[in-house]
Amino acid sequence: MKRYNNILKTMLPVLLLGFSFSCSENYLEETEEYNIDSENYFNSEEDYYNALIGVYDVLQSTYVNVLLGEIASDNTLSGGESANDVIGFQQVDEMTHTPVNDNLDDVWDWNFAGVQRANYMLEFQDKTEFEGRETIIAEVRFLRAYFTFELLKWFGPIPLKGDERFALGDETSIPRASEEEVYAQIESDLQFAIDNLDYTAPEIGRATKGAAMALLGKTHLYQEEFDESANVLTELINNGPYALADFETLFEQEGENNEESVFEVQYTGEEGAGFGCLQCSEGNVAVGFQGIRNYSGPVFESGFSFNLPTRETYDMFSEDDIRRDLSVLDIEAWAAETGATYAEGYKHTGYFNRKYLPRENDNVGDANLTQPNNYRAIRYADVLLMAAEALNRGGIDDSQARNYLNEVRERADLDEVDASGNALTEAIYDERRKELVGEGHRFFDLIRTGRAANNIDGFTTGKNELFPIPLEEIEFSQGNWEQNPGY
Amino acid sequence: MNKTLVLILFCIGTFSLQAQTFSVSGTIVEAESGIPLPGVNIIVKNTSNGVVTDFDGNYTIDNVSAGDVLVYSYLGFLSQEITVEEGQEMIDISLQNDQEALDEVVVIGYGTQQRKDVTGAVSLVSNETIEELNPIKIEQALQGTAAGVNVTPSSGAPGAGININIRGIASNSENGPLVLIDGYQGDLNTINPNDIESISILKDAQAAIYGIAGANGVVLITTKSGKKNSAPTIQYDTYVGMQETSRKLPLLNATEYGLLLNESYANNGEELPFSDVSELGKGTDFQEEVFDTSPIINHNLTLSGGSEKVTYSFGVSHLDQEGIIGAEKSDFQRSTARFNVGVDISDEFKFTANSIYTSLNRRSINENGLGSVLFNALNIPPTFNRDQEDLDGRLGNEIINPLSQVENTFNDYNLNKFNGSFSLEYTPIEPLTFTSRIGYNLTNSKGKDFSPIIDYGPGKVFNNVRSTVNQNRINDNSYTYDLFGTYDNTFNDIHHITGTAGMTVIRNWGDGLYATGYDVPNNSWEFADISLTTGTNDGLNNSAYKYDIRKLSFFGRLQYDFKGKYFFSTMYRRDQTTRFSPQNRLGFFPSFTGGWILSEENFLEDSNVVSFLKLRGSFGILGNDEAGGAEFYRSLLDGEATYVLGGSLVNGTALGRIPNRNSGWEQAEKTNIGIDLRLLNNKIDISADVFREDRKDLLVAGIPVSGIFGGGAPGSGAPTINAGTTRNEGVEFAIKYKQNLGEDINFNIGYNATFLNNEVTEVNGTEFIPGGQFGVGQPQPARFQEGFPVGYFYGYKTDGIFQTQEEVDAHPSQESLGATAAPGDIRYVDINNDGVINTDDRTNIGDPIPDATMGLNLNFNIKNFDFTAYTYASLGNDMVRNYERNQPNVNRHAYYLNRWTGPGTSNEVPRVTTGATSNVAFSDFYVEDASYVRIQNIQLGYSLPETFLEQVGINRLRIYASVQNLYTFTDYKGFDPSASTGEAIGGGIDYGFYPVPRIFLAGLNLNF
Repeated sequence: MKRYNNILKTMLPVLLLGFSFSCSENYLEETEEYNIDSENYFNSEEDYYNALIGVYDVLQSTYVNVLLGEIASDNTLSGGESANDVIGFQQVDEMTHTPVNDNLDDVWDWNFAGVQRANYMLEFQDKTEFEGRETIIAEVRFLRAYFTFELLKWFGPIPLKGDERFALGDETSIPRASEEEVYAQIESDLQFAIDNLDYTAPEIGRATKGAAMALLGKTHLYQEEFDESANVLTELINNGPYALADFETLFEQEGENNEESVFEVQYTGEEGAGFGCLQCSEGNVAVGFQGIRNYSGPVFESGFSFNLPTRETYDMFSEDDIRRDLSVLDIEAWAAETGATYAEGYKHTGYFNRKYLPRENDNVGDANLTQPNNYRAIRYADVLLMAAEALNRGGIDDSQARNYLNEVRERADLDEVDASGNALTEAIYDERRKELVGEGHRFFDLIRTGRAANNIDGFTTGKNELFPIPLEEIEFSQGNWEQNPGY
Repeated sequence: MNKTLVLILFCIGTFSLQAQTFSVSGTIVEAESGIPLPGVNIIVKNTSNGVVTDFDGNYTIDNVSAGDVLVYSYLGFLSQEITVEEGQEMIDISLQNDQEALDEVVVIGYGTQQRKDVTGAVSLVSNETIEELNPIKIEQALQGTAAGVNVTPSSGAPGAGININIRGIASNSENGPLVLIDGYQGDLNTINPNDIESISILKDAQAAIYGIAGANGVVLITTKSGKKNSAPTIQYDTYVGMQETSRKLPLLNATEYGLLLNESYANNGEELPFSDVSELGKGTDFQEEVFDTSPIINHNLTLSGGSEKVTYSFGVSHLDQEGIIGAEKSDFQRSTARFNVGVDISDEFKFTANSIYTSLNRRSINENGLGSVLFNALNIPPTFNRDQEDLDGRLGNEIINPLSQVENTFNDYNLNKFNGSFSLEYTPIEPLTFTSRIGYNLTNSKGKDFSPIIDYGPGKVFNNVRSTVNQNRINDNSYTYDLFGTYDNTFNDIHHITGTAGMTVIRNWGDGLYATGYDVPNNSWEFADISLTTGTNDGLNNSAYKYDIRKLSFFGRLQYDFKGKYFFSTMYRRDQTTRFSPQNRLGFFPSFTGGWILSEENFLEDSNVVSFLKLRGSFGILGNDEAGGAEFYRSLLDGEATYVLGGSLVNGTALGRIPNRNSGWEQAEKTNIGIDLRLLNNKIDISADVFREDRKDLLVAGIPVSGIFGGGAPGSGAPTINAGTTRNEGVEFAIKYKQNLGEDINFNIGYNATFLNNEVTEVNGTEFIPGGQFGVGQPQPARFQEGFPVGYFYGYKTDGIFQTQEEVDAHPSQESLGATAAPGDIRYVDINNDGVINTDDRTNIGDPIPDATMGLNLNFNIKNFDFTAYTYASLGNDMVRNYERNQPNVNRHAYYLNRWTGPGTSNEVPRVTTGATSNVAFSDFYVEDASYVRIQNIQLGYSLPETFLEQVGINRLRIYASVQNLYTFTDYKGFDPSASTGEAIGGGIDYGFYPVPRIFLAGLNLNF
């Protein structure tokens, strides 16, 4: 009796244990969590709109393209606090950059992040039908073209995956597409955008037909396809709603998103930011970086004194060019005039990039990283000068080219130019540098016109036309991607 | 299900059979003193018939038959067996003290074991050690007391976290051990040291019973409980103390600073900043200004006791510690209340319940970063007044007046926690016990910090134009449910088997909510609450998260020994965890241990020298799944998607971190061979272990992958991939010696040491993983790379200072480091001999992992006086001096007095100049040997004579005085060589660590 009792008493817990074993597998499936993940999204118009904001968001990180692009050129020196302050900037300034450069790595990573976010949407573009979907898809394709063009300018051929996200493993299997293939995708994206967008966007800041046309004209110009470039740009000039604005206020807060703005990257100072994630800032990080070091005085705010225009840059303007002192700030003269104080940083030249200096405002901290200045990515003046260049260099219509050029000169209070042929080309190049100084275009203009070696100290022909693919990318690809020549 | 079990078990009746029996009674005393022993177990062998002695050592056991064997056993005494003869109704016993003291019970996870039988590497820390060390947080009691355990404070601030790792850094993410309090998941951070009875630390494959969670070692904490048949005792412990900084750094005074600055400006051909240095005097000593002497006070009250069937223990405590920096803004309070009740419901059922309530309050200042309070105190020039701000922007963007910084620091953190367990043991037949227990943690915390509108001068990063208050509420909960059975029996007196099998269910879940309020009324802390703020902001002003991690595990363990000489055990655990994808969440973890007690063999049994000798070994596979957050296999839409449209911030949706469907746990292979040796009648006690751990499939969170996957996007990030292997191997050694020098004089001395070698043996997918920060805008200084220690420092090797221009000219160009070298600059070694110094010449210049750690602990008693001293040493750990801002106008450490000023003046410290130099590149000039020896604690106590105390009804009254962190011997120039952020990659980088305080205590222990 006792023995059976013992067996019974012993068996019961054992049975229970066995029972719990069989019923408890479900336990792991019942976790409470958020159920939306990347694969079951895009169920409504709102989902598409929200994801579109995610693609636009990455535009803000292109501040580094502008800042570093300008430093690379002959317009400015690196600056900063010391020779070791953001070494990546210093090396690009000296043209001593190598495949190991954190800031070039940022250009690669952040623009590919834009491509990836755009491709995520394109991967699901047909999932849910709603009115106005084409507009959103057209914007996505414009943005993909924008990021892809940046990557092409900086790194040359890049891997493409069509309307699909890159997945782990693709780095070792998908080769770098040729420049032609990359341009083909960009052009097809922009054509789709032109066909499906209006000249006015539903909200300020979103891409328009005009933006897509301007960018398409630019990509043709980069390929020296002057006819195509001139066609799309003159059509834009003739039919688009754009005009030159008052240069005096063009780069002030009130000049943002005005009639000259064809495409503008939007920033605000309303949200804080930190050095841990510069690309997360809603402000224009480049602006704080090129601010006057420890500045105390009127109009401007302090910054990190990077991207310093040289004396030569200042002096290339004639005395009566209204753009000179609105584009480049002579800090000594300014300090003498206003009593402002400041500190001199590394490679101090006495000049600052006034177009994108931080203006007095109440942006939240870290104030150096959250300056609200919008980046005028494509201005009408740029469009005019590109059109002039295409018309002139393509031998299409020098007179029209002169008209466009003189439109820009007139706004700067300068006399008309009367040249034609090569002299006109030189005049357009010259005007382009002055008009767009400090806006990140100069280096790539020199490259595409083959004038970099003559103008940039330390420039090596056959090498520095492209920046190196970041070393780790070469390593990740395990031989799939070859380094750019010379690096 | 738990309930069901209890119900069913209660429903089962117990039957007993009557036989020809009688009762036996008697008294049991201690053999040496003749004092009666309460609580001795008497049991009729091979039955469940047993009793315990009462307060006077008396017992009566019924139902005994002639020929039955009575077993008398008591902890710390040798058991005796008496065969009862017919009619023998009185049996008095005197129990011998177990001289070998080998039957100390060791908690090994889902069970206990006699210490002499343990075959794994297990360290013990008793409550006596804890009492002697008087730690504010329990982690401190493990430093230098348990071989193989390395304890590094992240800061000396009150309540700051303390990092523990057992036998080295194996993972590059989570290296902290699994902590179990009375069997359930807990943490060391909140527990009151006084509530702890003992700590067991499982360091090798012994921990494999915890499978996927055991690879970092396991710390098992047993909380205090009452003892059976003991009168109620009240114990009151208290101390009060004063704290001061254990260190101040020698800095330049104002005159020295002025001269140095003039020299550095002159060296760059600039105008001198100080025309008349003689006016400067000593200036302000900002260290003197920020450091305070501040109080600490602690109370503990415990009531415990027990009857034959019930034990109980209650405790309350309160600790109040102020910070030694910004005392009015940094402090720590901890209040706890605890109970533990054990009830023998019947012979078959035992119930225990315990619960701990903890409340913490903490306020803190900005620490260990660019622009932290101490960083500022070190860099602000002594020419500044106490209340002077840097209005001319002379000090760059980060350095501000540390006193104003403290003044404008406002925060508060509060945590409330309930944890505890309920446990039911059921013994249906003598050798078999089932345990069902549930442990729980319910934690909620809230934090608040307020940033007032403040202007420290132009361009300062701490300037704030709009006041904000950030608030958060966080809930963290967990339960651990265990159900297991243990069968323990001996066959034929020689085969002893213990089998354990069961299951564990763990769930961790919680959520957090963060919000920000703008425009705090009156710009004042008094009004800093979101409920009072009125400002609006376009941005996303709140955020939240939620998690739910579950684990389901089954385990078994079989222990066998033959004649108590040969031991063998095997463990097996099957784990499933929701941290991984459904296809990838099942793991198996086997292990084996073995031992041989040589001293039981004939050839050693009668040795006068060797009292005990055991060889033991273990091998097992364990896991670690703690890297990163939960669910890194899913692609969530938690990326940042914020843009400005129509002039306003709009928020959307974006991909979060790159997922990795294939991720799995880290796998550790642990091997240990050890020896336990006691000599000369147990006076000398030696343990030595050789160990090796290979940690494979390291879960590398944020491993770099190609940028094409979009990991660079805001709110995205690199995936977590199993991509590395590390090896830790080493030797542990511990020796204790105890001696009675006379009737009232005895001492014991203990020494332990751990020698460790750490190496990354494989990194997949990338050459190295960088970490840490050095200076401003410089490459990350620490690396995780094959062939090197985890987190080693990667920089330039130096070779003295260039004395002359000829030396400069003869050396490869250093220009690519930032500037052409000049006499007085640091000479870097051309590691790759390519005739130029550039980034390719960087190499291993140190690592933060100590080669050896050791503790030396001394205990001395003379009559009523007792004296203890604990010292700790860490050798071979390097630290990066990163608290010097590279900026022309900052103050400098006094070693700059020995700078290079001309040929032959210095070969260590470079010249000063405001011009560009390459001296700021990360090199071994900035890496220091932070080896140290610290006198952790010295205590002198006096117990009042018992004859006197008995008259006033007091059992014990002891008063003591002690000093913690009395002195640290080190060559390290910074505040605290022992500190670390605890990061595997990037630990040991010093932005001006908050030093541990030196504490002078006076206290008393009182027992009624």
